[in-house]
Parts: sequence; C-alpha cells; structure tokens
Amino acid sequence: MEYDENGVSIVPFELKKEIFEEARRDFRYEEYVRGCLNCGVCAGGCPPHRFFDFSPRIVLQKMKSKDPELIWTMMDEYVWACFQCFTCAMICPFLNSPGGVIAILREIAVRRGFESAKKVLKPYSRVLLKLTAYGNQLSPDMIQPDFFPDWGPHIGYASTDLAVKRKAIPMPTLQVTNLAWDVAPEAMKELYDIFDEAGVFKIIESVDPSLYEIIQDIVDDVRSS
Amino acid sequence: MAENILVIGGGPAGLNAATMLSELGVKVTLAERDSFLGGNPKKFKYKFLFPDMQPADDVIGKLIKKAETNSNIKVYLSSEVSDFKENGKKFDATIKSPDGNETKTFDSVIVATGFEHFDPARDAKYSYQLFDDVIDIKDLERMMGEGNFVRPSNGQPPKNVAFILCVGSRDRHVGNQYCSRVCCTVSVKQAIELREHFPDCEVYIFYMDIRTYGFFEDLYWKAMEEYDVQIVKGRVAEITSGENNTVICKGEDTLLRGPFEIPFDMVVLASGMEGGPQSSEMAKKLGLELDEHGFLKPQNVTLAPFKSNKEGVFLAGACTGPKAISDSITEGGAAAMDAYIYAVKNH
Ligand SMILES: Cc1cc2nc3c(=O)[nH]c(=O)nc-3n(C[C@H](O)[C@H](O)[C@H](O)COP(=O)(O)OP(=O)(O)OC[C@H]3O[C@@H](n4cnc5c(N)ncnc54)[C@H](O)[C@@H]3O)c2cc1C
Ligand code: SF4
Ligand code: SF4
Ligand code: SF4
Repeated sequence: MEYDENGVSIVPFELKKEIFEEARRDFRYEEYVRGCLNCGVCAGGCPPHRFFDFSPRIVLQKMKSKDPELIWTMMDEYVWACFQCFTCAMICPFLNSPGGVIAILREIAVRRGFESAKKVLKPYSRVLLKLTAYGNQLSPDMIQPDFFPDWGPHIGYASTDLAVKRKAIPMPTLQVTNLAWDVAPEAMKELYDIFDEAGVFKIIESVDPSLYEIIQDIVDDVRSS
Repeated sequence: MAENILVIGGGPAGLNAATMLSELGVKVTLAERDSFLGGNPKKFKYKFLFPDMQPADDVIGKLIKKAETNSNIKVYLSSEVSDFKENGKKFDATIKSPDGNETKTFDSVIVATGFEHFDPARDAKYSYQLFDDVIDIKDLERMMGEGNFVRPSNGQPPKNVAFILCVGSRDRHVGNQYCSRVCCTVSVKQAIELREHFPDCEVYIFYMDIRTYGFFEDLYWKAMEEYDVQIVKGRVAEITSGENNTVICKGEDTLLRGPFEIPFDMVVLASGMEGGPQSSEMAKKLGLELDEHGFLKPQNVTLAPFKSNKEGVFLAGACTGPKAISDSITEGGAAAMDAYIYAVKNH
C-alpha cells in the first residue's frame, strides 16, 4: 500500500472501480437497487441512523451515483454501522434494500480481507474457533472484558469466578467453563462440509490467516478421527 | 326527437357534462350513487377550494343548482346502472333507483364516477385509527367544513401540527406508484387555514417533493412567506405516541437536521386519490379498460383523453386519474362535446 504525505493510503482508482463492478455484478444487485426518491424514510426507520453518521439513504444514493469514489467511501467503517435489521427494506417506497446493498459491500470487504473487516470480525475469531473446535458458539470462558465490549458495564464482574458461577446455575450443565454442550463428531464433520461449500473457510483465510491455520489443524484432526 | 345521453356520477365532472349537454337540448339522465349531488367535495364538506379559496359551496352549489333546475336533466339519486347492453351503436341501460328499475336507450354515455380517498389505515407506519390525533386531509377538510377545528382527542386547539405528504401515493408498498397531484396543494392550503385560525400553532409539512404545480405554487410561497409554515424535506417513517398526549413523528430531515423525533398535537396525513372500487365496477359493467394504476383508461391519453376503449362511451374527471376540480369541470365539458358528436352522428 502506498501512502500520501499525510499518511493516508493511496488507493488506485482502478481498485475502486473494480469494487463497484463487483457489487454491481452481484446477483442481488438489481433487486436491491431500483430508483430512489431521496425521501429518507429508510433512514427515519434505521436504528443506527439516530446515533452515527450513517444513513441507508446515502448508501442507496451513492450506489445510484455509479461513482466508484463515492462507493469507496463506504468500504471502510461505514458499512459496519448497519445492524442488518432490514427495516429500510420494509419501508422503502421503491422496494429498495439499502441493508441488502450493505450485505453485498460487506461480503466484498470480507472476501478481499479489508482492514475494516478484519477489525470488526476480530471478536468473532474466538467464536469461529470455538465453533470449529467444539461445535459450540459461545461458552462461559469467552466472557472477557477485552472482547465484546458491547456486552454492557458488568462484563468485568461477569468474567470472574466462572467455575463457581457455573455451579450456581440451577439446572444440569456440563459443569465446565469451556463448553455449553457436547457435539458429536459426525455433526462436526457435517458442519465442516457446509463451511467448505459456503466458502466460510476461505473467508477465514483472508480475514485472519493465523486463525485459519489453527482451525485447519482442528478440522483435519476431527475429519481423520 | 332529442338525443338521449347517460351521465354516470354527479360530481363536478358529471354535473358539468350534464349541464352542458342539456344546454344543447340533449335529454340527460344523471345517475348518482349517493343520495346527493356534488361528488367528493360535497361528501367531505370541503370548505374553501384551492387555488383561490372560493367557498366550495359557491362552486359546487352552483353546479348542483344548474343541474337540478334544468328540465332536460333527469337526476336519479341513490341509484346505479344495474344492467348495460350495447344496442347497435346505442346502449340500453337499466337505472336502479329507490323508485324502481327503468330501462332506456341512450345514444352515448359519459362515465364520471370519480375517485376514492386512499384509506391511510392501509399504511401501518402512520398509526391512523390507532391515535385519535392522527387524521387525514379529507378528515380535516370535513372538520373545517363543520367549523370544528380542534384536536379530536381532547377538543383543545392544537399547539403544533404536522402534515405528512404522499400518504398512499408514490409508494410501491401500498400499490400506488403515481402522484395524486392535489394533495400537496390541499396540504399547503390547509396549513395556511390552520395558521389563520390558530396564529400560535406551529405548522410543519414533511415532504419528498412539493408539487404545487403551475399557479398553485403561489399558495406554497404564501405558506412560507406570510404564514411561516415549516417545510421539512423527509418522509416520516413512524408515528408513535408521546408524553402529554402527543404523537411523535420520527424520520430523517434529509437537508438540515438529520434524524428527528418531534412530538405534535396533531398529524394530518395527505392521503391520495385512488380509482376506487367504482372504476373496476364500471370497467366490468361497461366493458372498459382499467389502467395499471386502477383508474379507467382513455383510448389515447394525449389524442383522445375523453374517449374510452369503447365507441360511444366517454370518460371525464378523476375516474381517469387524480386531478383538481377545475380540470374535472373542464373534462366534463370536453367529454360532453365528444358524447354529443357521437350521439348526433348515430342518432
Ligand atoms: C382532500 C381533498 C381536497 C380537495 N380540494 C380541492 C380543492 O380545493 N380544489 C380543487 O380544485 N380540487 C380539490 N380536490 C380535487 C377534487 O376533489 C376532484 O378534482 C373532484 O372531486 C373530481 O371530480 P369528479 O366529478 O371527477 O369525481 P368525484 O368528486 O369523485 O365525483 C364522482 C361522483 O360519482 C359518483 N359515483 C361513483 N361511482 C358511481 C356509480 N357506480 N354509479 C353512480 N355514481 C357513482 C360518486 O358518488 C360521486 O358523486 C381535492 C381532493 C381531495 C382528495
Ligand atoms: S438494515 Fe441497516 S441500513 Fe437498513 S434499517 Fe437496518 S440498520 Fe439501517
Ligand atoms: S426509502 Fe428508498 S427511496 Fe427513500 S431514500 Fe431510502 S432508498 Fe431512497
Ligand atoms: S401531490 Fe404532493 S403529496 Fe400528493 S402524491 Fe404528489 S407529491 Fe405527494
């Protein structure tokens, strides 16, 4: 990557154009982007619009502008502000789907391993590791203040004395902190097949190469067992 | 013997068509579904009409009087065309009225069955019928007509009022892609009337585009310059209930504020016009074509806007699409001419 005198990365126009075309080629594009009245009703219903400098109306307008420069401005943090709740798609008078456009752009960011994608997906690498290793998505030992800061102000307290707290749960558990339930190896193998088919492993490889190596080892182990 | 022409619908368009034909010496049968003449302006007691605030009673009253006092026009109220058949180049129609059925042969027919107001309850985001203080422009028009200008919830004068434009129009979700043409001007007119009536009441208009086309623009400028109406660009996404018996409009001010949530005493929805069930009923009964918007379809919108697809059957007024009273009256006259020519040729 090249940088200008202010330390801002210089992104060649060709790359921006490529990204725009990749989005336009997406099989969902025609369905998600129709006309736009610039009415703002999507933004009016959009939860993050109230709190951030983010608006599904702008997403659609930028897409309709066909200006690769404008679309590029959304590829960094912007697209990650969306909750993917699809209220916008539910109320847009044109039946556009700004949330859908964001899904397309995010997928491009992930496939291409953009920094913003890596940053946003970082906490989820632990989830993916847990998932591929044990077939569990979350377990008590993943509750840590450094991760998932959006889990609220009591995360610090919640992450202490896990083993004791686990025992206090008034129903049968595995009595461990690294698992919520046991998953059969057959189910795990099936899960890997699905990940293969859906391109999940490829995505992990581009967003977090070191995680990918660890996961590959686990997958090989389980598959050969 | 004089020509016989059937006019279906006694709103502004049908009334003018009937009157003009009668002045040519034609025997006119005017069939009206309601128990009174005057169409929607009468039904919803419009008080003052845009563009120049003439009392609606003067305009519509004059039209009604002309039709009622003309011996060439026979008016059938609370009636419908129950049977319709072609008879060579003419038409046999049965008028079903409280006095019984009457079948006559007509040389030509004018359909002027008008429009229906969009029912805002069909768009759930506006909470119409959920909150008393969310009304629409036809409700407000009627309230003004009845001299009853207050908040429905408590009978008090409102401290602030919001108009929301394009309700039921320009929205694929409700199935209406078209613009209803009059609702911007009606809203601006009503905003002025509210400010006149309650000088301390703030009035907002939330819009996507203000379409006070042609000279109607004068009203829009007047609303801003003389009446200080707040014009905000952005469509409201949701109406919820707020503190102190208010209703909150939530949306994006696309030019100035960004996201907003503003509590109002009253919200007025600018609901649009639809072809209504009568358009498809006429289409079925008379063999006419409907357009993709649910209105009756002219043979050629530019060249023959008052001819239907059926020879001898003509169209006038809001049954072919949203329009103002002046246009409806003009069309009534134009369709009368077309219907007269056809009748004379085949009489
Ligand atoms: C809220 C509101 C305010 C408005 N204010 C203004 C204004 O200030 N100035 C202005 O210029 N325009 C105004 N308009 C527009 C105006 O209402 C229309 O242009 C006008 O009413 C159209 O006249 P019309 O005769 O075509 O139809 P209508 O007024 O709809 O009349 C049609 C008539 O046909 C009858 N009918 C329907 N079906 C049948 C049937 N099957 N058999 C027999 N009879 C039938 C109906 O009962 C009705 O009497 C306003 C519109 C709205 C929605
Ligand atoms: S899907 Fe995204 S853009 Fe659409 S309303 Fe939800 S958060 Fe906003
Ligand atoms: S709701 Fe639809 S038409 Fe309106 S600004 Fe958003 S994307 Fe555009
Ligand atoms: S006239 Fe105005 S309010 Fe009515 S549909 Fe057209 S733009 Fe919307």
